Amino acid sequence: MTAGDELALEHLPTGVSGLDVILRGGLLRGGVYMLQGTPGAGKTILANQLCFHHVTTGGRAVYVTLLAESHSRMLQHLHSMAFFREEVIPKSLYYVSAFRMLEEEGLSGVVDLLRREVKGQKATLLVLDGLVAAEETAKSDREFKKFIHEIQSHAAANGCTVLLLTSGLKQIVNAEHTMVDGLIELEDQLFSQRTERALRVRKFRGSDFLAGRHPFRISDRGIVLWPRFEAEYARASRKEDPRKACLTSGVPEFDTMLGGGFSQASSTVIFGASGTGKTTFGMEFICASSSAEPGLYLSFFESAERLIEKAGGIGLPLQKLIEDKAVEVIWEPQGERIIDEIAHQVLDAVQARNVRRLVVDGLNAFTASALYPERISRFFSCLSNELRARGVTSIYTGESRDLVGGTLRMPVDGISALVDNLVVLRYVEHDAMLSRMISVLKVRDNDFDPRLREVRISRTGVTIGEQIAGLHGMLSGSTSPSLPVG
Amino acid sequence: MQTVLVVDDEFGVVEVLVAALEDEGYRVVVAANGRHGLEQIDEHHPDIVLVDYMMPLMSGVAMVEQMRAEPRTGNLPVIFMSAVSESVLRESTTAYSAFLRKPFRASTLVDLVKRTLSNGL
Repeated sequence: MTAGDELALEHLPTGVSGLDVILRGGLLRGGVYMLQGTPGAGKTILANQLCFHHVTTGGRAVYVTLLAESHSRMLQHLHSMAFFREEVIPKSLYYVSAFRMLEEEGLSGVVDLLRREVKGQKATLLVLDGLVAAEETAKSDREFKKFIHEIQSHAAANGCTVLLLTSGLKQIVNAEHTMVDGLIELEDQLFSQRTERALRVRKFRGSDFLAGRHPFRISDRGIVLWPRFEAEYARASRKEDPRKACLTSGVPEFDTMLGGGFSQASSTVIFGASGTGKTTFGMEFICASSSAEPGLYLSFFESAERLIEKAGGIGLPLQKLIEDKAVEVIWEPQGERIIDEIAHQVLDAVQARNVRRLVVDGLNAFTASALYPERISRFFSCLSNELRARGVTSIYTGESRDLVGGTLRMPVDGISALVDNLVVLRYVEHDAMLSRMISVLKVRDNDFDPRLREVRISRTGVTIGEQIAGLHGMLSGSTSPSLPVG
Repeated sequence: MQTVLVVDDEFGVVEVLVAALEDEGYRVVVAANGRHGLEQIDEHHPDIVLVDYMMPLMSGVAMVEQMRAEPRTGNLPVIFMSAVSESVLRESTTAYSAFLRKPFRASTLVDLVKRTLSNGL
């Protein structure tokens, strides 16, 4: 080892995939980190998850609590978590209580206990749970700072990474925050009826990190964290392939309107009122998938079974394509999913099958998952860029707010500038009949047919008729004969 | 009056066990780690030892190893209490009379103490 090697900061992966992305590889080996959050925020689970990952990858850890609560109860709760490995306790993961030491010998006794345990267990990761108890025991701020400083010194001397868990009930930025190498906060925020957990790195010495809030859940896998999408993908993860072919929409006349089909890796919004045929166009596109051009259908409103039935009704072989693994359908019923979670799920599915065709059926439901609506345009910009860079041609269906009428309102504000192509489906009333109409409003970098044309959906699929001539006012939803000019 | 030594670093566990055992007429002495436990054995000569596995300074296994090496304490009944399973404990030691996995009810432990004392090691 050279002097330079000793100075190099080595990352210690946490094993929580999203957290390692946020921390650009993990904590820094030998650093002292504070994990702060109110009771129930997930500190103990996260710290244990780190310990189990650390010891199953060759490290050794000691978990020391200053609280009166029993380790056995904590371990009982952790037992059902996927990361829990009983066989590593106590050989490489050792749990001890320092509560009585704190009561009887104060902070100096606890420092001595920590020093002995780190040395005795050859620990490379130390967790001290319940720092607030040490803070309450300290007779002065100075004594408490000295306590933190001593832990730091022993950790550095032994190459041991330290995680200090505290409830952080104090409102001010405490002195100890300035002493540690990093400060990670866990919070549980209420949004109307719904809560969302989030992690935020407030300080991280010696390395870049993704700032801001990142949502997470506590599940039987432990902490599952999704870096805020627009922070992680502020820049696309790879370079876009400049070669562009065209992909069929599945409807030959529609391909003609688009100037030859969808440009490869483009993004398209098809919007219209309920029942105008958005899902049908999405299914036509996805049913043009093949093993060479795999498809992914993310449905917010209809299950795979319902989509298969619907596709069968218009002669589309969706079931066969799913059986052949040319298409995957993910049904995402509207619940309390996190928008970043869904976006990462889409990217994972794209990666897993090298997806080339994507339909997101229910743009409005997707965006409704965002607790901060002001994120949406940045979020979609980053999602579109990333999918484009991965060579995925995407269609989003969005429901317009008006069944008929003269106003065209986008399902998501500002989205028209973010996507390459815009297509509108509308009802028009003519001679006491409602007909469906399609028009292409925008195709980026290509000529397109801007005429308004009638859409027919039958048992053999979608057909698009010729231009509806001799009528005007169709965009308002109600037609009248065009008056002769001159 | 029989004496029970409880060796456990978990304050809450010790408090509950002391109360439950004293209610049954035992004299109870406590220690927070293995090293202190050995000192308490020298001083109080308990009839039985209840010992936790993981503790600071000296583990329960290390403490029992030292007990077994001494003729005076080599046959003292020992009940291990641990959050890990008995199979994990048995990889380190088999020199104990009974095992109880944490968390447990105090009454279960008291019954086990009575049975172990009547059976010997």
